[in-house]
Amino acid sequence: MSKKSRSKLWFLVHSWLALPIWFFVLIVCVTGTLAVVSQEIVWLVNPQMRATQPSDDAPLLGYDQIISAIKTAEPQLLVERISRPDESHFALEVNVSQPDGRSVTVYVNPYTGVIQGTAPDFNFRAFTRALHGWWLVPFTNGYSWGWYLVSFLALPMLASLVTGLVVYKRFWKGFFSPTLRLRHGARIFWGDFHRLSGIWSIWFIAVISVTAVWFLIEAILSDNHISISSEPVIAAMSREGVPLSADGSPPPRVSLDHAIEIAQQRIPGFEASTINLPGNAYSHLDIRGRGWYPLMFQSATLNPYSGEVAASRLLSDRTSLEFVTESMRPLHTGDFGGLWIKLIWFFFGLVLSMMVLSGLLIWTKRTALATANALKREHKKQRGQAQPALHREPSEVHL
Amino acid sequence: MSKSTTVVQPSRLSVIWHKWRFHINVLLLLIPLGFMPRYFADQALFRGDSGLGEREIGEVQVGPWSLRLAEFRNEPPLPDGAAGYLKGFSAALCDACVEQVKATYLRIGKPRSLRAAGSIFFGTPYSMGTQMPVPDKTRADAELWITMEGWDGSMHQASIPLSQASPATVAWLNKQGAKP
Repeated sequence: MSKKSRSKLWFLVHSWLALPIWFFVLIVCVTGTLAVVSQEIVWLVNPQMRATQPSDDAPLLGYDQIISAIKTAEPQLLVERISRPDESHFALEVNVSQPDGRSVTVYVNPYTGVIQGTAPDFNFRAFTRALHGWWLVPFTNGYSWGWYLVSFLALPMLASLVTGLVVYKRFWKGFFSPTLRLRHGARIFWGDFHRLSGIWSIWFIAVISVTAVWFLIEAILSDNHISISSEPVIAAMSREGVPLSADGSPPPRVSLDHAIEIAQQRIPGFEASTINLPGNAYSHLDIRGRGWYPLMFQSATLNPYSGEVAASRLLSDRTSLEFVTESMRPLHTGDFGGLWIKLIWFFFGLVLSMMVLSGLLIWTKRTALATANALKREHKKQRGQAQPALHREPSEVHL
Repeated sequence: MSKSTTVVQPSRLSVIWHKWRFHINVLLLLIPLGFMPRYFADQALFRGDSGLGEREIGEVQVGPWSLRLAEFRNEPPLPDGAAGYLKGFSAALCDACVEQVKATYLRIGKPRSLRAAGSIFFGTPYSMGTQMPVPDKTRADAELWITMEGWDGSMHQASIPLSQASPATVAWLNKQGAKP
């Protein structure tokens, strides 16, 4: 095969990878882009989610103060989980159980403990994630087939990246002499745009598609009951671990702030960001937070009555394989370093969505051009007999 | 340019196909649109907006206490790997027992002791859930036993027929035949 026809072949492969499913890929890219900043969008729309500092020197409340502020305001609410979002402009998200049986998330001001409001019934963040992650197909038995459908796109995306770089001769030159011709018609513009945004998103497309390949592998492993986790299963507390109380009321539990201190002694540099309160009398208190490595969480599991540490999961407990696999999700979502990282992911998410669109536009423009040319030729050849040659494959003709 | 493609009159269908073949994938959007009602119904169920579960069983008296029991899903048990088949139930405790009850358990057949009381409920007294194993040799006339344990060490039990607790499970057992 000659060099030229080989590059023609690569070109064909490149155009065929996304073309038949361009709209699906586009929607997955757009919903993923939205999902990156979904928390921020809710924050913009919903003032109750904002953490306003009453005065410049107002300190953050401890977790015990938060719990007691909630108890004072709404004595019947039972707190199930408190999470402190990474960015300080977000209010605490507290999952509470109401006497009517509903479980809701309330936004609590981290400086005052005031319950600022209840999260809206329509959870935009969860919805965009569900649409992006599994196309809303429900999980009934194992992973949803929507999950497979979406994560499978990782393969054509990765292949698009590779074939795109093969087709784009000496693409590295594009870094030094960026070309974006605005006045040469749409076809030229979208072609330049596609190449320019492509080379600047090499790293991003690689990150997104490789992590998405992992999501595909993860589902296959899980559905075949194959585990690569080195995390031991923590047994429920023994009967002896739970004190009896003569008067029939629940025994006292260690304070949350004390529990965090105990966890910090075990895990140096530990910052508690999520506290899961025990799910029943025999289950543990679970404290989670990040350490020096922003892509993974560490956790401590404590007996809530004695404060004794039942188990901990540190960075150093992970196998090197787990270091890689557990980093995949934050790398995919851009949720590991605050707002700026998210904005970078959002920006490149938009660029990637535009790559799909511009790819399609190039193809349709080329088709239109090729069709017009073909028509002209037919006219010349057999006057009056020409048919609209719509069914021809112009990308095979005009490379 | 081969002649055959232009001289032969293309059929209407083939023109439509060639014009729209790369846009057919827009139809994939019908999948999330179709699942959207189910998605929102599930969210409402998880949040407790639509009650304890898909099918309320009713109030069950357990000694001095009582609880409202529901099937989380009105459907047969689901396989869960090595754990076998699991059936989800949810419950809410009576107002008076919120402070007194330490733990609540479910089991098919009468437990021999508190240590074998069955699957423990997770959640809060207002709304809690458990996944109870259903052995495939369970008989259709089996009883569902509820065990409640107090913080003072007291224990109370009650039972209801499985057919009352989950007709879907009994139908499933009948269909696959009670295995010896």
